[in-house]
Order: sequence, then C-alpha cells, then structure tokens
Amino acid sequence: MLWGLFAASIPVIIHLLNRRRHKTIQWAAMQFLLKATRESRGKKKLRHFLILACRTLGIAALMFAAARPIISGLLGWGGGQIDMVVLVLDRSASMELRSGDGQAPRRQMVLQKVRDSMQTLGNARLVLIDSATENPQDIPSPEVLAELSSAAATDTEADFPTLLNRAAEFLQNTPGRAEIWLASDLQSSNWHPDDERWAAARASLADLPQKPAVRVLSISGTSAPNTALSILSSRRAGDELLLDLELLQTTEARGSVNIPLTANLNGTRTTDSLTIPGQSLRLQKRLTLPPGSETGYGWLSIPADGNDRDNVAYFAYGPARAVKTLIVSPPGETAAYLALSSAPPDFGRQQAEIIDPTRATDLKTSDVATVLWAAPLPTGTAAESLTRFIASGGQVVFFPSGKAPTGNFLDQNWQPAQDADRDKYFIIKEWNHADGPLRDGLNGTPIPADRIKAIRRQVPIGSAAVLARWEDGEPFLTRQILDRGTIWFVSSAPDYTWSNLGDGDVLLPLTQRIVALGTERFDAAYIAAVGSEPGSSLPGEVRSRLDDFGSPDPANIDHLGGVFKLGDRLIALNRPAAEDTLEILNREDLDTALSGTGYTLLEQAGQADDPSLSRDVWRAFLIALIFFLIAEALLCLPSKTTVQVLTPQPSKH
Amino acid sequence: MKYSFLDNTLLSRLGSLPIDARVPMLGNVAGKHRSPHRGSSVEFAEYRKYVPGDDTRRLDWKAFARSDRFYIKEFEADTNLRAYFVVDASGSMKFAGQGEAKIQYARRIAASLSYLLVNQGDAAGLSICTDKLHLEVPPSRRAAHLDRLFSTLDNLQPSGPTGLLEALHTIAEKISQRAFVVILSDLFTEPEALGDALQHLRYRKHDISVFHLMDPLEISFDFERPHRFVDLEDQTALVVEPNLVAEEYKTALRDFLAEVRAKCHDAAADYQLVTTDTPLEPLLRDFLTARLPKSKH
Repeated sequence: MLWGLFAASIPVIIHLLNRRRHKTIQWAAMQFLLKATRESRGKKKLRHFLILACRTLGIAALMFAAARPIISGLLGWGGGQIDMVVLVLDRSASMELRSGDGQAPRRQMVLQKVRDSMQTLGNARLVLIDSATENPQDIPSPEVLAELSSAAATDTEADFPTLLNRAAEFLQNTPGRAEIWLASDLQSSNWHPDDERWAAARASLADLPQKPAVRVLSISGTSAPNTALSILSSRRAGDELLLDLELLQTTEARGSVNIPLTANLNGTRTTDSLTIPGQSLRLQKRLTLPPGSETGYGWLSIPADGNDRDNVAYFAYGPARAVKTLIVSPPGETAAYLALSSAPPDFGRQQAEIIDPTRATDLKTSDVATVLWAAPLPTGTAAESLTRFIASGGQVVFFPSGKAPTGNFLDQNWQPAQDADRDKYFIIKEWNHADGPLRDGLNGTPIPADRIKAIRRQVPIGSAAVLARWEDGEPFLTRQILDRGTIWFVSSAPDYTWSNLGDGDVLLPLTQRIVALGTERFDAAYIAAVGSEPGSSLPGEVRSRLDDFGSPDPANIDHLGGVFKLGDRLIALNRPAAEDTLEILNREDLDTALSGTGYTLLEQAGQADDPSLSRDVWRAFLIALIFFLIAEALLCLPSKTTVQVLTPQPSKH
Repeated sequence: MKYSFLDNTLLSRLGSLPIDARVPMLGNVAGKHRSPHRGSSVEFAEYRKYVPGDDTRRLDWKAFARSDRFYIKEFEADTNLRAYFVVDASGSMKFAGQGEAKIQYARRIAASLSYLLVNQGDAAGLSICTDKLHLEVPPSRRAAHLDRLFSTLDNLQPSGPTGLLEALHTIAEKISQRAFVVILSDLFTEPEALGDALQHLRYRKHDISVFHLMDPLEISFDFERPHRFVDLEDQTALVVEPNLVAEEYKTALRDFLAEVRAKCHDAAADYQLVTTDTPLEPLLRDFLTARLPKSKH
C-alpha cells in the first residue's frame, strides 16, 4: 500500500525532475515568447497543476481500488489519530462459517484483521464488546485477541441494536477520540434493521461529546459448502420421541446430497443416511426410547462441513404423560366427532373429556394440551382461564355453535350463521399447503380439504391469519398466536346439519396436528435456544453439562449448546433457529439502521459475494480513477481556438 | 568559387531569367529596363500628333499616307537598374534551428541576385545594418565590383539589436534615383515602424521586395522538454515549459506575420515569407518569373 502511495507521487517527481533538466537554447523570436509567457501565466499554470493533480490522484485511486484492503479502509478514512477502538464482535454461530477457501472461520479472519490494524494504530486502546456477553472488556494487547474466551465461538445469536447501544454507553463514560468497529457477517436476523431500538442507539451516539466514526466490517462472502441441522420441535409420544428436523444447505444446492445423520440417545449411537433433494429437507425422526425410560437426552449430528457450530442439535425429554383434550360442547354429534378425532381408539395416551358449556366456567387446564370449543364464545371467568391457558402454550380451537354472536373473545367473534343455497354447498377452494394444520404430509400428500361440503357455516371475524378459504373467499380456518399458545377458528362444525367435516379425512389430521402442538407445551421445557429465558440459569441454579459432544470451552458454558442440568431441570440448548437463515442485510437496511452515523462499510478483500455491499469501498475508487482520467484527458485537450498552421506564403504585387 | 554562399549550378540555371523592375527606372546608362522618359529604344510606346519643333525623322510616313495627318512615333527609353540589397545583421539572424542560419540564407539570396543583376548589365549594391553599424557598398555594374560585394557578405558577423528601420530610412533619403530595394531580414521589429520605413521607400518610388526569413523551428515551436531560451540580441534568458506557452506563442507569431504582411501590402512591396529550409532555386525562379512583364511570359 505504501508503495502504491509512493507511486502516486511519481507524476510530481517527474514534473520536478523535468523542470531541473532544461536545455539551454539561443533563441531569436524572443518577443513572441515573452508575450506568450505573460499571457499564459495564470490559467495555463492552473490547468497544468490540475493535470498534475489528476494524474497523482488517479494513480492513488488505482492503488486504493486495486488493494481493497481492510487496513487501508479502517485507518485511511478516519482522519487523525484515535485514542480508542471499540470492537463490537459478532460471536454468533453463523460467524463460524468458513470462507470459500475453507481456511478460517469468519470470526477468526476478522480478529486477524483487527489485530493487524491495531498494530498500525500504535498505542490506541482496544475495547471488546462481544455479542455473547455484551459487556465491554479492555484488551491489553491485540495479539491475545484470538486466544480470548470472550472472542471465541458460541452458539448464540447477536443483537446489534443492543450492542451499538452498549458501545455508546461505554463511550459516554470514557471520553476520547474513538472509533466503533462493527465486525459482523451482516446476517439480517442479528441486525433487526426495523427494530425501534436503533433509534435509541443512534441517539446515544449523537449525544456523545466526541462523535465516533463507525466502521462496519463486513465478513460476508463466498463460503465453504455447509449444511445446518436443527430440531424444529420435540415431542414424546409414549415410548417414542418425535423430533421434527430440518436440514438446510447454506450454499447453493446443486442436485440432491446424501448425508449421514447420527443419533445419540442416552449414549447409544445409530446412523441413518438422508438425501437432501434441494436446499432444505424437513423430516420427522422417531426415536424409540428404552423401556421404562423416564427422562433422557441425546443429540443428532451430521459430518463436519463449512460451519462446525451447526452440525449438531441436542434434545432432552421428560416422563411420558397423557395427552388430554378438553371438549367444551353440548352433547351431540359435534362433541362425539371431536372426541373421536382428538383421542382415537388405540392412540397412545390420548384422552378426551367432554364438558357441557354450562359447566365450563372454571376450567382446569393444568394437564390439558388442547381445548376444542364448540359453543358460544367464552365470557367471564371461563374467558380468563382460557386466556391463561393459551398464554402458557395451550391450543384452543373454536367451532361454530350456530348461536347468535355474543361478546368478543380476544378481539375475535363469529358472524351470524349462513346456510348454503338449496342444492348448493360451501366448498373450500384454497388452503395453505406448507403451513398450519392443513399442510401437506411429510411425503407431500395433501389433505383433501376440497372434499368438504358444507351446507351451513359461521365465519369468524377478526385480525387472525387465514389459512384456508371457502370458494367465495370467506375464511374457513384462521390462526391467531397469543404468547406461546394459539387460537384457531374453524367455520363449520362436524355435524351433519353443518357439513361432512366429521368424515375424518380432514378433521382427524387437523385435530391431531393441533393436539401435537399442544403437547409441546409440556415438552418445551426440555428444549430451548441458547441465550433464551428458559435456557438461562435461575438464581441459585448450578449449570452442568451432561453430553460429551465435542470439546466445549468451560469458560463459555453459558453461550454454548448442549444438554445441561440447571439445578433440578434437564434442558437441551441449541443455537437459535435464526442463525441458520441465509438472509443477508441489504444496503438499504444498513443505511436505515445506521443513518446519521456516517458509517463506512468495508469488506474483506476478495471475498465479496454481494457486490452491493462492497461497491462503496473499492468501486468508489474505480469511479474516482475514471473521473480523474477523464478530467486529465479533457484538460490535456487543445483549446477550441486552434492556431492556424503557419506556412510561408508569398505576397505578390 | 571561393564563397560558400555561391552556387555555380544555381547561377547557371537562373542565368537565362532576366531580373525585371516592376516600376520604370531612371538611369544614365542605356539598359533593358523601362524608363519614365521617352527615348530611342526599339520598344514602341505610342502615337502622338506632330507639333512644330518635333524631329521629322520620327514622323510616321505610313500613317500620314493613310490618314493625311502627321503623327510622331514615340519609343520607350531604356535604362539600367540599380539594386540595393539590405541585409539585416542583427543577432537574431544568427539563429539556426532546423534549417541553416538565417544570415547564411540571406547571404545566398543577396549574392545570387547580385551576380545575376551585374551579369545582365545592372548595378548591385549592398547595405548591411545593425544598431551600431550601417555598412554600404554602393551599386556598380562592373564585374570586379561583385568580388567586393561578396567579400563584404562573407565577412558579415551578425550581433546586437536590429538597425533595419534606420537603414531603410537612410536608403530612402540617400538614393535619389529610383532603385530596386531587396530587404533580407527576419523583421523582428515593430510592424508599425516597419510600415513607416516601407512607406518612406515607396514615397521615393523604389521597387521593394521583402524576403522575410524565418527558421522552421521558430514557426513550429516544437519542443518537448522545458528549455532555457537565451535572446540572441540582448542575452536575456527565460526558462519556459514549451507546452504551456506553445499556443500563445503561435497566436502571437501569427498576429505578427499577418501585420507584417499587411504593412508590406500597403507599401506595395513584394513580400515573401521564407523558411530557411526552403530550396533556393525554386524560390528564386518563382521570384524572378513573377517579376517578368506579362507580355514576355
């Protein structure tokens, strides 16, 4: 780089040498030379110096564009000496993705670059705020940065609005000429560009007595092939553990990929081979539990690839319990069908209890997974206990009763019942095949919802998401998520006076899938994300790791996945699902998040896979180079008033 | 020949071309040039009516027989030509860029034309001028005179500022008879003052020819690197980046040449801008041919 800057001075050196190396000539036409010198002194000299400046700046721009280094970007644009660098380091699991050449994870690359940059800054103080602890920490020497536990890999996710706020708070208490370096892979889920906390972070920065320069050091780029394994949900059904898995290829999928999946259940290993047909694969893994097993744990893993942090998913389970469904309905065909579909004969430990609506004032739901409500919407104490049930993860499905609508329940209500025209039916036209209880089966088989013929319906009103619609666009199935639970509305009843919903081919999967969701209410206590509230140690709880997967760093035990004993609790902690998402922050979102900070975006040389992110770093220099070359060419052009060619021409008289 | 500026081949080729005066000349020796007086040459001029006292030998008897009137036949008088070669010997004439030195080119022109003039019976003289020196070799028709003329040219050492204007005024005042004045100079002087000097010569009814001598390098100003230019006349020096001033230089030169040309035109002078890389033979041939009377073409 220094050689490049030296090259920029070459035009000036040539100019000075040229001035010294003049030749002496005896000259006759001096009167014209003197006149020309007088006339050209002002603007010509200015033009000459502009040409010289364009050449110098052009070479400098070429050097900057060709180098595209982090160092030059970090140090070259700040202007002046700085006292302190606050390094905000993304330690999320996605930062462990190796670069395209497979050499080093992104986190290590950025630490290396920071170390090199700090050496050129001399005695500037380095303060680390890592995304896992979010606490400022003085780093005595940049040399030890890569060895620090507080800069090591974790299974956490990063929260950049909070991190920037922490940096601003720190600088508020530590005045000085500072720079904030945000080192990240710009994973969108870590940045939350629309989060309102950005405004507070920006305001905190603006309030600082000395406004720091903000540099975003992007480590996005081509990456090594990688597959991420995650457990979407875990549910114990008797002697089986049902694990919904997802395998996601983070690089561009080319054809199908065979991958071995190893399951370790209480120390016993089994390996299956999976075929990932495209970019992702969802499947249900059934693990048969040992006879008499009350609790246990294990993990699933795939071979090492581009990112070592997303090759394992941990699970734990508790004692088997009865899956109880509460049916609030007057006796009749609807109640019978709902009881049958929620607890079919020989269906494990599933139970159904029918309660008359008149007795449903005080529901006992502590052991209930799902409530099927085929009666007027609850009010009073019934509504309150049902709301608590939903908030704790319960599932409630409302079926129409045909009664005139009364009061709202959580801003939802029924419209008056409608009858189909004579010899006509209400038919379901479209439904969500990928999401909700009418989604297609794991093998792609669709639920035959279009076979439902209704002669009567009662359409819900409210702001819930519609998952299935009747032919006329009115909703058949809606979903509203409230805290951990869900409210469902089905706009016809399994009764021959309403529809053929009782036939079972739609009602059974619909009910069973919602019941399965309800049972996660109990199993959720055994699985959580690293850094989430359930995964955090409560006061007095001692955290000890049970599994023996990998070689975890004891100093980072709070930020790593695994199976843990937290006091008396058994819990499996996995990296947050958002860490597997592929979405990268785009430039507009970054501008929005950091507006007013005057931030500079810099990118690791030769690693850009998103041209929009690196454009302003080195393309700006290319544009500047072109500008200087064009300006130089224009300045070198002869002026329009061309001098006539002087040729001897006799004048005859 | 012992003089380097004389070219035998050139002189023999140009020898067949006479040097004609563009205006009638006055002289005391009969020659080939027209005179403003009627004389006894063979060249018929006009008829006029007889008046008593006319020489009866000049009556046209054939015209009398046809018209029964007396007419006198008038013939043009012939006289000889006196040529003055005014050679600028200022320091600037030493300059030799891409061609030979301007003073050497001037020597060649003056010597060649002098030779041709004396050879055809006319008189050639020389006037050499600097700011300090005004050396004159009076015109003479004698062949022996040529050697003095050539010797003077050979010994010429240009230096100092030009004295051309003073020389021209002196010649205009001094020469009483009409003469052919040939100016050989780079004319690096004030065009306005030059115009006055030429008008002075014209007022005296002299036939003026101007050979404006320039070096090709002075016109093209083709330099790559910075140069220190030292004035040949007063030795003042100037360090210049040529590409910075080339355009202005050429503009100033163009204006100067246009002004000089206009001044020569106003004074009815025969003006020729000549670069020192121009071959002499075609230059002089064209010069002489253009001066021939139209009837002789």
